[in-house]
Amino acid sequence: MTKLTAIDEINRLLDDAGKETTNTSMRLPVALRDAAGIAVAQLGAAPSTTALASAALRTTLEAIVMQAALDAHYAEHPEARPSLADLALAAAELDDNPLAQTPELLHQAAEQVGRRHPDANADDVLLWAEALASVA
Amino acid sequence: MKSLIVLDNEAVQAMGSPAHPKHQRVLSLVQVVAQRKRRAAEVALAVPTTVRAQAGWDRTVAAWALANRLRVADEALGRAEANVAAQIRAATGVSVADAHLGAVLQGSKAQRVTVLTSDPGDVAAVAGSRAVTIVRI
Repeated sequence: MTKLTAIDEINRLLDDAGKETTNTSMRLPVALRDAAGIAVAQLGAAPSTTALASAALRTTLEAIVMQAALDAHYAEHPEARPSLADLALAAAELDDNPLAQTPELLHQAAEQVGRRHPDANADDVLLWAEALASVA
Repeated sequence: MKSLIVLDNEAVQAMGSPAHPKHQRVLSLVQVVAQRKRRAAEVALAVPTTVRAQAGWDRTVAAWALANRLRVADEALGRAEANVAAQIRAATGVSVADAHLGAVLQGSKAQRVTVLTSDPGDVAAVAGSRAVTIVRI
């Protein structure tokens, strides 16, 4: 199975809204299971521990498959890959954050953060840009 | 769902085609969504089906493979949405696709709704009293 085929198959399975369930053989740490139980019973985190675990797994899989699709696309079209500054601006715009009006500050923050933290993401840059703005 | 991000016509076209001048711009927004999902943020991408049709996004066509892989959900024009869209269209004179977009915005239960669009004026017109963050692409 190629990576793209795997992405498509995961997407197909995630889109399958069937109610069929299975008893899984996945081994879960007891402490994690108990913590989930308390979160459901005492904090109302979800209707059940099954629902809590399913939602978390779905969110994670969606993120993984989206990133895999984007990475495959960037490999084929390197010019399409956004810079860290582009991502920071996008994050600010999605949040309606006033920093979206200061792209030069975001650019500066992205450059500084990216130099020390090559794996930084947009929200890391936004945090640093807010710090820069607060002392300006 | 805490946050819903809805794509308008040009955002769909830009996302789907590497040759589109705003392709990288729209991918930067989608990339942020992917990063936030990785941090367990409750955020989802959606497209009204009439907008998808207007943009030419056929999910069975290979040229749209990237868009198909980015977890963008269809928001269908069902009976209730069609009624709201008809009201919006009668009141504003916008296209059917824009009216459907408005029905999606007004009917969304998400705490926060954002639209990626090249036409902020139309989005503001169809959003009604729904608070919407508009990101101009």
